[in-house]
Amino acid sequence: MRPIEIAAAGTMLTALVAGLVVPPDAVQGDLQRIMYVHVPSAWLAYLAFAVTLIASVAHLVTKRLDWDRRAGASAEVGVVFTGLALATGMIWGKPVWGVWWTWDARLVLTAAMFFVYLAYLALRRSVDDPVIRGRRTAVFGIVAALQIPLVHFSVIWWRSLHQPPTVLRPGEPQIDPPLLFALLMAVVAFTVLYVALTRRRVDLAAAEDRLLTTGRFDEPVAGAAIAAPASKEAP
Amino acid sequence: MSDWGWVAFAYSMVYSTLALYLASIVVRARRVRRSLDER
Repeated sequence: MRPIEIAAAGTMLTALVAGLVVPPDAVQGDLQRIMYVHVPSAWLAYLAFAVTLIASVAHLVTKRLDWDRRAGASAEVGVVFTGLALATGMIWGKPVWGVWWTWDARLVLTAAMFFVYLAYLALRRSVDDPVIRGRRTAVFGIVAALQIPLVHFSVIWWRSLHQPPTVLRPGEPQIDPPLLFALLMAVVAFTVLYVALTRRRVDLAAAEDRLLTTGRFDEPVAGAAIAAPASKEAP
Repeated sequence: MSDWGWVAFAYSMVYSTLALYLASIVVRARRVRRSLDER
């Protein structure tokens, strides 16, 4: 186990305990504890897709494949966190709003972001050549990142059932200090875990590329048994 | 379901998904490494 993974396990455990022992919310009671997994998941989705954007630009500028692998790894981890943000939001929404899902701007745009990055991952898998894959997915990764501010500010720009930002807003955060501490603890833990997962995923992507490159030339392919006609050389 | 039931549902989903995702990366990496060693 790498040091970053030990740190991730420790901080995730601390965040779990903090989320369960912190005083309950004055309005929602214990249900509000879902915030300590829902909000960090959503923030990490933003962070992961922002890293994909930066790595995509870096890949287009430098043409280095390690930037492309970082972009892909971060997008995959981001899709996991977006899925978790959607799932925990639904679990929170059912007892509080009375429904699992509603056609609210924040919810719809987050779901759209989830599916767009799933398409990004599908595009990565559809191209074998790392150079072509890198160029195509970098452009996709840059365009797809336009959704991040759209999702975040959707609760301000449109009338929404979803509550507006509590911490990332102009002025003081609208949250009591013990609850804010538990939330920040969870954000730190999820961020450390994101770094650990992305590093593992980048290593895996490098190994997969190596396998693809070595496999291309020494594995039998359809038609390999057919000999090419001997070339006629001029006398 | 009680409030704590919903909380347990959400936490178990998050922590188990992240653990399974990490496990899937480790297993995939091990499989790729084995394939590379066999070449």
